[in-house]
Amino acid sequence: MKSWVEKYRPQKLSELIGQEEAIEQVQTYLESFPKVKRKALLLNGPPGIGKTTLVHVFAKENQYEIFELNASDLRNKSSLNTKLKPVLQQTSLFNKNKLILVDEIDGLSGMKDRGGVSELVSLIENTNYPIICAANDAWIQKLSPLRKKTNIIELKNISPAEIKLLLKLILKKENKSINDKVLNQIAIKARGDLRSAINDLEAVAAMDKPEEILMDERNKKQDIFNSIKHIFQDKANEEMLGTFDKVDMQIDEIILWIEENIPKVYSGEDLAKAYQRLAKVDLFKGRIYKQQYWRFLVYENIFLSYGISQSKGDREITGFKKYSRPGRILKIWLNNQKHGKKKTIAIKYAKKTHVGYKRIMAEWKEIKLILKNPIIQKELRLDEDEIDYVMKY
Amino acid sequence: MTSEIWTEKYRPKTFEELAGQEAIIKRVQALTNSLNIPHLLFAGPAGTGKSTLALIVVKELFGKNWRDNYLELNASDERGIQVVRDKVKSFARTKSLGNVPFKVIFLDEADALTPEAQQALRRTMENYASTCRFIMSCNYSSKIIDPIQSRCSVFRFKLLEKKDVEKVIERIAEAEKLEIDDEAITAIYEGSEGDCRRSVNLMQSTSAVSPKITKDLVSTLISEAKPKDIKIILDYALSGDFEGAREKLLDVMLKQSVSGQDIIKQMQKEIWNLTIEPETKVRLTEKTGEAEFRIVEGSDPFIQLQALLASFILAGLGK
Repeated sequence: MKSWVEKYRPQKLSELIGQEEAIEQVQTYLESFPKVKRKALLLNGPPGIGKTTLVHVFAKENQYEIFELNASDLRNKSSLNTKLKPVLQQTSLFNKNKLILVDEIDGLSGMKDRGGVSELVSLIENTNYPIICAANDAWIQKLSPLRKKTNIIELKNISPAEIKLLLKLILKKENKSINDKVLNQIAIKARGDLRSAINDLEAVAAMDKPEEILMDERNKKQDIFNSIKHIFQDKANEEMLGTFDKVDMQIDEIILWIEENIPKVYSGEDLAKAYQRLAKVDLFKGRIYKQQYWRFLVYENIFLSYGISQSKGDREITGFKKYSRPGRILKIWLNNQKHGKKKTIAIKYAKKTHVGYKRIMAEWKEIKLILKNPIIQKELRLDEDEIDYVMKY
Repeated sequence: MTSEIWTEKYRPKTFEELAGQEAIIKRVQALTNSLNIPHLLFAGPAGTGKSTLALIVVKELFGKNWRDNYLELNASDERGIQVVRDKVKSFARTKSLGNVPFKVIFLDEADALTPEAQQALRRTMENYASTCRFIMSCNYSSKIIDPIQSRCSVFRFKLLEKKDVEKVIERIAEAEKLEIDDEAITAIYEGSEGDCRRSVNLMQSTSAVSPKITKDLVSTLISEAKPKDIKIILDYALSGDFEGAREKLLDVMLKQSVSGQDIIKQMQKEIWNLTIEPETKVRLTEKTGEAEFRIVEGSDPFIQLQALLASFILAGLGK
């Protein structure tokens, strides 16, 4: 039995959702090939929004024969050569046009596919056939040689509303029904990934009571809330060392969550002890950063989980505590929004007066009156926004 | 074009105009006149004339062309030693213009570089020694690694004496037609901790309010510029209000863009002004020192400062 993703994969361009612009650009490229400035296309966009499908459907409607490579085929320079080169040189059976699709190029792993990117680049330079590449993130470092040789087309995320519409269509064809709330949750959780939405839908539809499913976007957040509650309130035990492995979150972000919530649960000596240990975590983080010695991560994790938990000694804390999300990042962001101009002004002033801009920022209150002088504003070539800022603060 | 920023407008342009540092000036002038300077290291407090002297040296050496032969870098502003090296490299690649066979690179706040970065810099200095001379400035020469110090002529700048700053202030007051009395001058000198550049800035700031500069005007400006925020943070912590202390701390760090290291420096000074047991003062100082060490080693100063505040709460309870 075919999965729903396969079963409902679009067969016509008109069935594709939300990618009209991209389709047009692909069309223009193929029509003008080989008279194009850059000989290959690079479709860029997150997983599950229809990059591969777009190319396949397009080929089908326009009588192109596709030769497809994906990350698992592209092992290294020599295998790419032996696979791709003959195809590029031979003429097609049935006199169809040929089109090469290189899928998942950002999946080329550094070691195994050594030379893969540069070989792909040189093939692009010499190709007689159009080449379309697809990537989830075209902006990573190792693809930079490729970016220079290709026309990058950004595919759009599919909106939750569009996803929901399609899910309803599928349900209708499958003769099933799922309540609207659950559909909404699937559509939102997908974050633009249509494929995962259809997969989720299929899974949910197979359940006896679809309404009960907790497919909430809040899933992830609950994990972190539960984890820190576990750490802060339960009695410290060894099993805690694995707590944060289960949380889908980077350790740096977890550090911020812990930092924010220590005073919500601990006080006095426990508070001081917990912060001492968090400070240790930060110390190891700094050492990893400076020495690139990643084994220190082990200590980071131990202090962050068991260490924080054990700060309260051999006991548990019962009752409801109100945990909150880290506020610092937002505050930093808001502050930068508000005071971003200060830095650009300080840089201009610092250059003029042979001082470091950081020192100028620190002495801001001593010089801000000077900066209100219009002649000096002109001298420093402050722009309108900067003058605005100076006059306000 | 003359600048309307007084620190530029009245920046000494010749050796003779410089205030204080007579012995240093004589030696540097002699070196400059021979048209062949070694690498120089200027060590001393802020606002004592290090950058100014460097500028005079290059202007004397290169005359009108000085801008083409001079590169100014600030070690604490540049992102990493690699950026410094790249800039040095591309600047040093071309030959100097004019009679002098080398170019000059002024590396300000060189003590902001880590010892490792200084090692890297030392290689760069060696590689371009034939075409480039370095003038480095720092607050403490002890923070500069020995191999670099041994390649430089080291000059130690002293804090300017009050009479030197006084002269500068009076000269500017006359040129700008300002009225200023002795009390106000003293207030400026003390308020800027002997830093001549900050003295001039304070003067220009007060003059923006009134052409008659008085002691009161100066102290209003200084007290605004020198907030009591650090004391407030400490008071919160010592009275047991951790969340209050931490909120205020983040506020100060963000709104006034004060670095973690500057905060801890001020905390360390502020401890002496607290009305607490001498024993506690020592204990707090010890903790502050430990935290400062960790800020240098760690990655997030705010976390380290929070840990410090949490330990202050215990100290406030007499533990």
